[in-house]
Amino acid sequence: MAGENEERVIHVAVVGQPNVGKSTLFNVLTGRNVHVANWPGVTVEKHEGYRRHRGRLLHFVDLPGIYGFSASTLEELIARNYILSGGADVVLVLVDSLAPERTMYLALQTLEITPRVVIAFTKSDIAHSHGIHIHHDAIARRLGVPVIPVSAVKEMGIEELLDAIIDVAEGRAGRREPLRIDYRELEPYVREAEKLVSKTRLAERLPARWIAVRLLEGDDNLEELLRREGAEDVVKAIHSMRIDIENIFRTRPEELFSRKRFQYLYSIVSPAVVRVETGVRERSERIDRLFSHPVAGPVLSTMILLAVFLTVFTINTGFPLNILLHEAGMPGAAEWVEEHSLGAYLEEGVDALIDAANASLPEGFIRDIVAGGIIPGVGAVLIFLPLIILVAFFLAVLEDAGLAPRIALSLHPILSRIGVSGHAVFPITLSLGCNVPGVMAARATPSARERIRLAMTLPFIPCQARLVVILAVASALRGIEGLLIVILAYIVAFLVFAGVNKILYMLEEEREEPELLLELPPLHRPSAKVVWWLTWDAAKHFLAKAGSIIFLLSILIWFIVSYTPGLSPAASPRDSIAAAVARVFAPLLAPIGLEGDPAWITAFALLIGFVAKEAVIGALTIATGKPSAAEAIRSMGLGDAQVAALTIFTTLYVPCLATLAVIYQETRSLKIALTTIAVMMSVAYVSMILAYLLFTII
Amino acid sequence: MPTTLDALPPGKTARIIRIDAPGRWRNRLLQMGFTPGSLVRVVANHGVGPIIVSSMGITIAIGRGIARRILVEPL
Ligand SMILES: Nc1nc2c(ncn2[C@@H]2O[C@H](COP(=O)(O)OP(=O)(O)OP(=O)(O)O)[C@@H](O)[C@H]2O)c(=O)[nH]1
Repeated sequence: MAGENEERVIHVAVVGQPNVGKSTLFNVLTGRNVHVANWPGVTVEKHEGYRRHRGRLLHFVDLPGIYGFSASTLEELIARNYILSGGADVVLVLVDSLAPERTMYLALQTLEITPRVVIAFTKSDIAHSHGIHIHHDAIARRLGVPVIPVSAVKEMGIEELLDAIIDVAEGRAGRREPLRIDYRELEPYVREAEKLVSKTRLAERLPARWIAVRLLEGDDNLEELLRREGAEDVVKAIHSMRIDIENIFRTRPEELFSRKRFQYLYSIVSPAVVRVETGVRERSERIDRLFSHPVAGPVLSTMILLAVFLTVFTINTGFPLNILLHEAGMPGAAEWVEEHSLGAYLEEGVDALIDAANASLPEGFIRDIVAGGIIPGVGAVLIFLPLIILVAFFLAVLEDAGLAPRIALSLHPILSRIGVSGHAVFPITLSLGCNVPGVMAARATPSARERIRLAMTLPFIPCQARLVVILAVASALRGIEGLLIVILAYIVAFLVFAGVNKILYMLEEEREEPELLLELPPLHRPSAKVVWWLTWDAAKHFLAKAGSIIFLLSILIWFIVSYTPGLSPAASPRDSIAAAVARVFAPLLAPIGLEGDPAWITAFALLIGFVAKEAVIGALTIATGKPSAAEAIRSMGLGDAQVAALTIFTTLYVPCLATLAVIYQETRSLKIALTTIAVMMSVAYVSMILAYLLFTII
Repeated sequence: MPTTLDALPPGKTARIIRIDAPGRWRNRLLQMGFTPGSLVRVVANHGVGPIIVSSMGITIAIGRGIARRILVEPL
C-alpha cells in the first residue's frame, strides 16, 4: 500500500568459522549486491548487502571468518565487538554440515552472548554424499533457536532461512535469554566471578555471566575495559581464581572451559548426527599423505603451480611457448603465438583508442592530456586486467577444489628455511602475476612480522609487467641467449627474494620459528559459480586499488614528459622535466659503462618505470624515436653485458607505484614503504654491477 | 605412556592431555576442538614437515614445532 509507513529494516550479522561457506551464502542472500569497505581503522574487509523479504529490508553485515570470540586476533575482536555493540537484531551463525561438531562451537559462543540467534547448516546438498545425516529439529529443540539446513550452491533453504530471521527479529521465535552452559565443577567459580562482575558498569552493557566466563578464561581486552572503569579489584580477584583453578585441576583454565563447552556441545550434537563411512574420507586422506610427503609433496605442488603459470604466461605474452617454437625451427608458429597473445591484442586496442582520441578531439590541451596521458596510463593498467583475471581464475580453482591449503602445507618446510611459513605460498604465486594482489594476500599470514617481511620482499618477485619489459630488453639479444637471460632474471629475482627474507628474518630479535596451522577442507570438484565469484572479486579489487592511483599518476607522468623545467610545452621528450631529472641520475649508470645519450635515456626509462614497469618500453621508444624496444636498445649501441645488467636492474629495482601504495596501505607505515624502496634500489644496483662484471668477464 | 603428537605414526589415535604451544596457536587449537580430553587420529606423519591429524570430521595440518608441544596419550 502506498501509504504504508517506512519499510522495516532488520540488521543481521553473519558469522561463521573459516571455510563454512560464508562468502558463498552471503552472495546468495544479498544477490551479490555487496558493498565492500574496511572496518574502521584496520585493513580487514567489511562486506554489507541488502535483501527484501516479506516487506522487510534485511541488512546483512558479513563479520570476519573466525573460530571463536577469544579476541586473540584482530578479526575475532572486530566480530565480537560488533555483536556486543548490539548493532544487530539477529546474529546468523553458519555451521558446516560437513563438520558440525567443530563448527557449532562458534554458535554456542554466540548464544552465550545473545539469544537472538539463527543457525544455518551450510552445504546441506553434499552432507549425504559425505555420509553425514543431521537431525536439525533435535538441535533446534535443545538450543531453543531456529536451525535451518541450506545450500548456497543449490539455493535451497534460503526462503526458510529468511523467514526464520524475521521471526527471531520480531520475537515470534527464538530464546529470551542467552544460553547458560553448565560448566559443572567450574560453576562455583563462574558464579563467584559473576557476582563480582555484576557490580561493574561493564555488566550494564554486556551479560555478566559471559564477562565472568571470559575473564576466567583470560581475556586481555575485557580486563583492560574493567581497569579503565577502575575495577582493578575485580580483575585481581578473578586472576587469583584462575590461579586457584590451575592449581586444583592442574590444567589451564582456558583449556578447561573449552573442554566443558565442547562436552556440552557433544551432548547436543552427538545424538543428532549420524555418520556412515562412504570412502570419500579414505580417498582424501591418501591425497593428504601425498602432499605432506617431504619429496613428493613439494614436487607435486611445484608442478601444479608451474603448469598454471606457464599456461597463463603463454596466453598472456606468448612466452615461453614462442621461444620454444622458434628454437624448434618453427618461426611461423612462434610468431603466430606472439601475435595472438592477449597482451598483443590489448595493446592494439589501446593504440586504436589513442588514434580515435587524436582523430575526434580538437587539438589542444584536453586532447594532449587524454591521448598522451590518461589513455596510455590507464590503458597500461587495463592491459593487465585479463592477466589478473586469468591468474585469479586458476587460483580460484585451486582454492575452491581445496588444493590451496595442501599446496601451502607441502611447501612449508622449504619456505621455513627463509623464515616464512607455508601461508606465504599464495602471496608469492599471485605476485608472479601482479605484486598488488600478492601483497594484499599476505594479510592471511598469521604472524604479523612475517606479513611485514612479505610486504617488503614480494615486490622482488617479477610480475608480468616486468616480464614484458624483460622480454623486450632481452629481444635485443638473439635467440636462445634471450631466453637464457629471461630465465636468469627469474632465478636472480627468486634468490634475492629468498636472501632478503632470510636476512630480515635473522635481523629480528626474538625470532619465532615459522609455524603452520591450517584446516584442510574436503577436496571437491570446483563449483563454476564460486570460481567465477572469486575471480571477479579479485579483478574488481585490482581495478579499484590500482586504477585510481594510476589514473592520477598517468596525468603526472604525462606532465613531466610534456613540459620543460621552465613549464613551457616541450618540443621533444629530450627537453622535458623527466629528461632533466634523468640527466642528474645518469652518472649512476657509469659503472656499467653507460654515458652520454644512452645513459640519460636509460635513466629516463627507468624513472618512468617507477610508475608502471611496462612503461619502460614506451619511454625507451619515445626518447629514441625508434618503433620497438629492441631497436631502441640497438640504436644506443648497448653491448650484451649492458643489456644483461639492465635486465637484472629492471627486474629488481623499486616496486611500481601501485605496489608501493598497497605496501603502505597494508602496513600503515611510511617507514616500511620507504625502507622497501631503499632496500630494493641498493640490491638492484649492486646486482646490476655484479651482472655487468660477470658478463664482461665471460 | 604420554608422548608428543609429532611422535605418533600415521593411523594412530590418541587423547590430548595438554597443549603447551604459544598462546596464539593454543587458542586456535582449542577453538577448533583440539581440547584436552579430545581424540585425534594421525592421518600423515612423514617425520619431517607438518603433520596431518583429524578429529571430529575435520582435518588439519599442524607445523611440527606446534605438534611437538602437544602432549598426548596414545590409545
Ligand atoms: N556443495 C556445496 N559447497 C559449498 C556450499 N557453500 C560453499 N561451498 C564450498 O565450500 C567452500 C568454502 O566456501 P566459501 O564461501 O569460500 O567459505 P567461507 O566461509 O567464506 O571461507 P573463507 O573464505 O575461508 O572465510 C568452497 O569450496 C565452496 O565451493 C554449498 O552450499 N554447497
